Amino acid sequence: MILEPLLPSILSVRRIPNADPALLRAYGADPEKHTSLGLLTCDQDDPVYVALDEATKHASVDVVFAKSFWAGAGSASGPLSGEVLGVIAASDPAEIDEGLAAMIRCLEHDACFYGANDDGSIAVFPHVISSLGHYLSAEAGLPVGSAMAYLVAPPMEATIGLDAALKAADVTAAKVFTPPTETNFAAAWLTGSLPDCEAAAVAYAEAVVAVGREPRQL
Amino acid sequence: MSLSNTRTLMAELRQRMGEDDPMPSRREPQRIPDPPVRVYPKPRRPSRFAKEAAAHTTALVGIGRVGTRYATSVVLQFQAELAVAHSAVATVLPDEWAAENGLLSLNSRVEDHRQFLLRPDLGRRLDEDSLSRLREQATKGVDIQPILADGLSAVACMGSGVALLEHLTAECEQRGWTVGTPMCARFARVWLEDEIGQEVGAKVAVILLGERPGLGTGDGLSAYMVYKPEVGKTDSDRNMISNIHQRGIPPPEAAHRLALMAGAMLEQVTSGVTLDLGPLTTELGDAAGTGLREPQVREPLVFVGEEGEGR
Repeated sequence: MILEPLLPSILSVRRIPNADPALLRAYGADPEKHTSLGLLTCDQDDPVYVALDEATKHASVDVVFAKSFWAGAGSASGPLSGEVLGVIAASDPAEIDEGLAAMIRCLEHDACFYGANDDGSIAVFPHVISSLGHYLSAEAGLPVGSAMAYLVAPPMEATIGLDAALKAADVTAAKVFTPPTETNFAAAWLTGSLPDCEAAAVAYAEAVVAVGREPRQL
Repeated sequence: MSLSNTRTLMAELRQRMGEDDPMPSRREPQRIPDPPVRVYPKPRRPSRFAKEAAAHTTALVGIGRVGTRYATSVVLQFQAELAVAHSAVATVLPDEWAAENGLLSLNSRVEDHRQFLLRPDLGRRLDEDSLSRLREQATKGVDIQPILADGLSAVACMGSGVALLEHLTAECEQRGWTVGTPMCARFARVWLEDEIGQEVGAKVAVILLGERPGLGTGDGLSAYMVYKPEVGKTDSDRNMISNIHQRGIPPPEAAHRLALMAGAMLEQVTSGVTLDLGPLTTELGDAAGTGLREPQVREPLVFVGEEGEGR
């Protein structure tokens, strides 16, 4: 059955209530502003980026570090590595707790890849964020609170899907990540009104499924 | 907290693409375990005693089990044999049967079959008509008076009763004894022989009657013999042979044993517990009341299911 959620697994969640300034600096935090860190690894990277943005909406935290690992969860360095490490920083450990709780809620109930073919070997991430937080808005260069379609798929599917999404609704491309990314997927961030973003995401998912069903047209 | 609309959108897309499956994913049906197989218990130490004991009984031993229950074939066999017993008890000897077989017809004081089952005392005495008929028609002063009767199994009486009576008569005449008028009593209990024997003045009276039906033995006859019969004799005054049917003691063999027993009574002028059957042990077998019973093989009267199964 297609388009079933492929739920992400949270592999580790840790807090550092009072981090060493050297560590804070190394991970992009500002020792003047931040004292506490919250860390999370997961086997799906893009849901974590969405979850990190979600955390900024629920707590007074900054996303200081968020990187995918080379070649994805299939080539992880250990059982807790997955394919992404996300780090949030705050001046107050309680804010870290609140931010991590928001991330976990988001990963368990909202953001996830979907299987684009029957056995789920083609994964697609056609996520619609109705209101951007501080993190992704800064990354995408969009105003806080705008809607965004966060679209990820393997290279060929992503390319065909992006074309379909752009043509399906009145959306503009805020950012396009051509392959290869760290995990060898391709991605695009589209913005527009919320209904347009939703229509674009649906068109993207449909195109990815269609490519999977007919990889060779000639 | 706010959730995005993405999961709903994907569910709608899935439905639109005709890939929706409203049913939950199929689960493999649970494997149903095989029914228990029939087990014949194997004693850890084979007991020679148990084997020997089982050979000397017709009881249902060593029939196996299925789980904690009897096997179907055993239950069916039991029900069939019980049905034979029930039907034998319920059978009534027809009024005219005695006359048709050339026997003097007698009736006890019992009026119907139900009363016969409930009132043994009435079955031990003759009614007025029968008594006068007996006095008019029967030969008096005989050595031995055989009486055929229905007892608790009219089926047995009608089955091998006449054959047993004829064989017994032949055995007695061969020994030079006078044998009384052949007669048949209806609704009769064992003690009826006392009154009849007393009336005809017989030295020995023997009543041949259907015995209480057991499992699969609705056709068994018993013979009760008493010396110098008179009303008031008790069971300690009698000798008997039971299990007279084709699968037990066949009528010719039973007649032979009865004649030997009657001979002993005439010689010792007594019967019952005071009668010494010791010299006849070899001829009489277990009827002599001593020694070990010969091994017997259980032969069912009815067969159910596959023949020989479970036996």
